[in-house]
Amino acid sequence: MPRNKMSSVRTVISSVASDRVITKFTPAFHPDGTPYSKVNFHPKVKTACSENRTGRVGLKITKAVLVGDVAVGKTCLVNRFCHDVFDRDYKATIGVDFEVEKFSVLSIPITLQIWDTAGQERFKCIAASYYRGAQIVIVAFDLTNEESLHHTDQWMEEACASADQPVKFLLGTKKDLLSPSSYSDVEVRALKQAKKLQAEFWATSSKSGENVTDFFFRAICLSFDDTLLKELEVDTVASKQIGTIKVQKSSSDLYEKRKSNQLKCCS
Amino acid sequence: MGDKTLETEDIPRSVINEDEPINKSLTMLPWDRFSNWIHCACVVTFDLELGQAMELIYPGHIKLTDKEKMNICYLSFPDSNSGCMGDTQFHFRIRQCPGRKPLVRAHSQYNRDCPVTLQLDDAHYYGFVYFRQTKDRSIRRGYFQKSVVLITKLPFIALFNQVISIIAPEYFDNGEPSLEAACHDIDQWPLPVPGDTLNLPIMGSVIQVRLSCRSDKLIGSVPPKYSQTHSIPAHSILPSIHEVDIYSSFLSILPHVQLLWELVLIGEPIVVMASSPTITCNTVQALVNMIAPLKFCSDFRPYFTIHDSEFREYTTKTQAPPPVILGVTNPFFAKTLQHWPHIIRIGEMGPLGSSPKLANKVKKAAALKTLDSNPGVYTRYKSFLTKDKAILKRLMKGSQLKRPVEAQNAILRRHLLELTHSFMIPLERYITSLMPLQRNISPHKGPPKLRPFETEKFIETLEQSGPQLTSGIKGDWEALYRRFFRSPNFEGWYYQRQKEVNQKLQLLHLEALSNANLSEWIADKEEVQIIDLILKIKDKLNFATHNHGLVGKESVSRLQKQLEDIVSTLPDDLQSVIKT
Repeated sequence: MPRNKMSSVRTVISSVASDRVITKFTPAFHPDGTPYSKVNFHPKVKTACSENRTGRVGLKITKAVLVGDVAVGKTCLVNRFCHDVFDRDYKATIGVDFEVEKFSVLSIPITLQIWDTAGQERFKCIAASYYRGAQIVIVAFDLTNEESLHHTDQWMEEACASADQPVKFLLGTKKDLLSPSSYSDVEVRALKQAKKLQAEFWATSSKSGENVTDFFFRAICLSFDDTLLKELEVDTVASKQIGTIKVQKSSSDLYEKRKSNQLKCCS
Repeated sequence: MGDKTLETEDIPRSVINEDEPINKSLTMLPWDRFSNWIHCACVVTFDLELGQAMELIYPGHIKLTDKEKMNICYLSFPDSNSGCMGDTQFHFRIRQCPGRKPLVRAHSQYNRDCPVTLQLDDAHYYGFVYFRQTKDRSIRRGYFQKSVVLITKLPFIALFNQVISIIAPEYFDNGEPSLEAACHDIDQWPLPVPGDTLNLPIMGSVIQVRLSCRSDKLIGSVPPKYSQTHSIPAHSILPSIHEVDIYSSFLSILPHVQLLWELVLIGEPIVVMASSPTITCNTVQALVNMIAPLKFCSDFRPYFTIHDSEFREYTTKTQAPPPVILGVTNPFFAKTLQHWPHIIRIGEMGPLGSSPKLANKVKKAAALKTLDSNPGVYTRYKSFLTKDKAILKRLMKGSQLKRPVEAQNAILRRHLLELTHSFMIPLERYITSLMPLQRNISPHKGPPKLRPFETEKFIETLEQSGPQLTSGIKGDWEALYRRFFRSPNFEGWYYQRQKEVNQKLQLLHLEALSNANLSEWIADKEEVQIIDLILKIKDKLNFATHNHGLVGKESVSRLQKQLEDIVSTLPDDLQSVIKT
């Protein structure tokens, strides 16, 4: 029995690509550009992971939504990270694209859903359903386009309205197009905006790949630490009633789900 | 609007999923993956001048014939003035107009590996409807009446009900972009591969579902394997892709469940009458599913209206009623179909868990004259088997104890499954006895065939190894079998078995041929015989390419070698003839 468990854990880990294994807490991009002061995983989280006490509800899922003006390079960012490609041909996203990446954080498998939304006005009306329950909100803007930075206020507000106390990022794209000096000009304004949005600032280039992986790792670390801490708190309260049975929780979830579906159908 | 946004250049590069080799192929076009799941989405509105009218078909390049459009329009709305205020969900099934392209590759592959009961049918479409009817002062006549419909060949009742319940409200709130986005989500779905657990992103959430496959164990529901190794997270897990709530559907007629099982098994014409299409479609679907794992082989219409293009065909009084199951709501049918031998009348479904008011007695069909007849089963049919009272007691007790509907469903489904199994096992056993022996497979003769099914011979086996071995239910099983043999369900089952067995025999024969020492055999043969052999081998190789994946690569290459060797022994002129 214990052997079985071991082997199943191992397959999970081995199914995560070696470049998706996170063992250290990725630092912020800019020390002044973040509301998140964490520099390491919370001790409780570390202990829980090392004792393998994290599997209360099965697989860990993190939902990220990526929003921002038309053509700031949202899909390019995702393609660079997920497929390590850069396609300079611009094609507009219809509605929303969906990508999934598997990680291992402190040996715990975790899956990141990336919902890459369309920037067009005509899709704004449906956006709320895509934002629902997001734990990571990424508002992207084009570092070479001042206007797109101005619009981040509205994007952030809209995305956070439906999200679930998310970790917030302000992400500048197309860094490769700027000279170092013009970049520093933009950075000053971006840092100010990040402070206003209470979001963490990143500057990336999907063309060169600069900071793309670090950014997603940082997002995963912050969200993982956050979610797990919350869960561990709930656990200490809930365990008094339900004990430490892991399987039961998920099966009762399944039942609840079914029940609510059925009520919907019959009405 | 839909047409405008659908030009190919506007469609972004599809995201390639590494897990699906087929999707990697360059021939994958935008909407290909969408078409693996859904034919199209439609919006049907009620136009004060025209009546039901197709407002939108999405994606815009999808073509429906006028007849299909008309059927979809009528079936997407309630057929009678029975209220249906607010939101109503149901599904229907229509005939596809002839002359369509054959099944797409993904669908034939799916059909090969899925349980026969879940095979998609070349000739029919399902439509999943979400109808909204609300008061709206801004509209003339004061009502908003519109439906969003998904048209598909896949019989995934539970899945598409769930999907339409997500898509339609979004559409009503936000209009066309939401439909566009939803269809784009579906265009990212992986292939429907039996046995796979799939994660289907739709409008910001993910539906996780497992597709049943033919090798699933039949007795007992398969516990879905949501293994830890599964990569994509799920926000909602559907326990079954196709099952409907049979317990609630049959609640008011529960004492007659076994009688209904017999009627469905022997393919009797049945009409289900209720006040709403939601009720009829669930009941009809529950009836059809009753005899699983046996496939119901006649037509069935979960919701059927007087406007349906098959209305005349199915309601004519000049012929006996066809062996189909219809679900109807229009009171007009009570008169039109009063000559039908079996009528099921379902009342309003009570709140879940409420104790059912049971229609205990079977009523004579003639009693159904008035429109407001009581719920019940109206038939003159006498069951061949005696009623299993234990299962009823168990379900009634469960209902009193407020046992969850899921558990009640599982009990009822298991009971029906065991009943069907008890009925089918003697038939399966008999079929096995019709198999030719291994030693009859000779490379020098044609492949042996399954021996013909002889009713009397089969009946003779019943005494020794009939259903009494696995079922405690008494009754005239023999007569039930005899009725069954005249039904489309038997025909369908027998055809399927024949196909499987003959395919298996072809395979064994091919194997034997590839292993035989043919050059020795042809040494003393006439040229005609050798040519005959060559043709036979070519035939086999043809079979192998058509049944790709079934035949081992080694046998094929061995056979190819055999063919070359034999051809090379022929005179040159003949060789060139053979090769062309």
